[in-house]
Amino acid sequence: MAAAMELRCWGGDWGLPSVHTESLIVLAYTKFSGAEVTVSPIDWTWKTITATVPELLCGDSAVQEPAQILNFLRKQRFNADYELTARQGADTMAYIALLEEKLRPALLHTFWVDAENYANVTRPWFASRSPFPLNFLVPSCQASTALSRILLTKGEAPLHRITEVEGKIYSDAKECLNLLSYRLGTANYFFGNSPTSLDAFVFGFVAPLHKASLPSSPLQSHLKQLDNLTRFCDSILAVYFSSDHPCPPPPVQETMDANLQKLTQLVNKESNLIEKMDDNLRSSPQHKSHRPDPKPSLSTTKSSTPA
Amino acid sequence: MKIERVNYMKHNSINYQPETFSPSSAPVSGKIPFIHVGNQVVSELGPIVQFTKAKGHSLSDGLDDVQRAEMKAYMELVNNMLLTAELYVQWCDDATAAEVCSSSGLSLKYIWFVSGLLQVYFRFTSGLGNVSRVYEDVSQCCQALSQRLGTQPYFFNKQPTELDALVFGHLFTILTTRLTSSELAERIKSYSNLLSFCKRIEQSYFYDKSS
Repeated sequence: MAAAMELRCWGGDWGLPSVHTESLIVLAYTKFSGAEVTVSPIDWTWKTITATVPELLCGDSAVQEPAQILNFLRKQRFNADYELTARQGADTMAYIALLEEKLRPALLHTFWVDAENYANVTRPWFASRSPFPLNFLVPSCQASTALSRILLTKGEAPLHRITEVEGKIYSDAKECLNLLSYRLGTANYFFGNSPTSLDAFVFGFVAPLHKASLPSSPLQSHLKQLDNLTRFCDSILAVYFSSDHPCPPPPVQETMDANLQKLTQLVNKESNLIEKMDDNLRSSPQHKSHRPDPKPSLSTTKSSTPA
Repeated sequence: MKIERVNYMKHNSINYQPETFSPSSAPVSGKIPFIHVGNQVVSELGPIVQFTKAKGHSLSDGLDDVQRAEMKAYMELVNNMLLTAELYVQWCDDATAAEVCSSSGLSLKYIWFVSGLLQVYFRFTSGLGNVSRVYEDVSQCCQALSQRLGTQPYFFNKQPTELDALVFGHLFTILTTRLTSSELAERIKSYSNLLSFCKRIEQSYFYDKSS
């Protein structure tokens, strides 16, 4: 039984368990993987300026950043990606890179740089959740970090103004949403019938854009046209975050499954070895006299299924 | 980066005349690689792909929407991990910087300036603080690419696409550029299907007498 885990994150509003993308990613993953965590919102505490959120505390360790936290949870056997193939795991990494590069700058801009949204939604929310006198500091710190990040990563030179990159970051973001929509299609989740870490990431990025009441957002209007993405967010909220019914159980990892996984890994390793041996045989003509079947020469003592 | 562009043109069997880069012929935006077609100058891989598509040459027409989404996602992964690693090793590693300085004639102050800018950039994006994280990212990226490629000749089976051009460009650059540490190249070499992918493209497209 794992030690008790505590998750520090920003609190919720707008129908979401958290308004903060990274916190939402981790919260969604804990639900998908069945990890029991105590959620401690940092709202109204000094941690709003001192802590990096989300942060997972377990015993003596403190883990930050969504990717690191998800890795940690997997090691504790809370693994929502258990049934993914290696190729699906690779696809997950690629789509997360797409979200970070193409969607994140526009989301930062929508919430923290766009004057109307910042003044009417973002700043009041964060200011109201920070204790005095931090309510003057927290929103503006986050806003300037967001602006710097956009300019540094998307601007052609460090001295460019934000207006010159706005067009590009929004068109990239709209394209990213379209690509996600194509990929999701009519399925409930991105891989099969149960949600995985990719679903958590997409939910974390898209849900705040879907749910916040933004006075000015062409990106939000674009998202509303992509029915399958909005349906995706709503169904995760209804199934995993509704207080009415309990969460569905995560994929159960019993000891037998662990053995099966080990066996599969061994078989994969063996077949990789066989492939390598085969390549070597083909490329060294002087060894053509060897038996074509290299399997008996693999003198490992591990058990494996017959070829 | 230049290699991706050249590679892309080769895939499309477009006749072109490679020119050695000289600053006076660079486009206003100052970015290489660029192609010069009649009166037009198009720079960077993205716009070049669009340009050739408008002229009727496209590598990704045969892909459906889901495949195109996958292709773009993998291209971002490569940019995120491999490009960052290359920049880091070229500019932020002291030993490499010193060697670049002595061979290219760039002053050390210039190199440190670029390195400083990049450090700030990395802090905002991937939090890169040290070289081991760089190598770890490269390994993860290569593992994902290797799994995606599998035993296929190209990433989307029989026909090469922009993704193949991009991956080849980066991997080939890393494998052939002499750096003070061969760690980056070694990490790639441990994925045999990626290595044979590079060799295959090099032999098919760069040693052909007919374009």
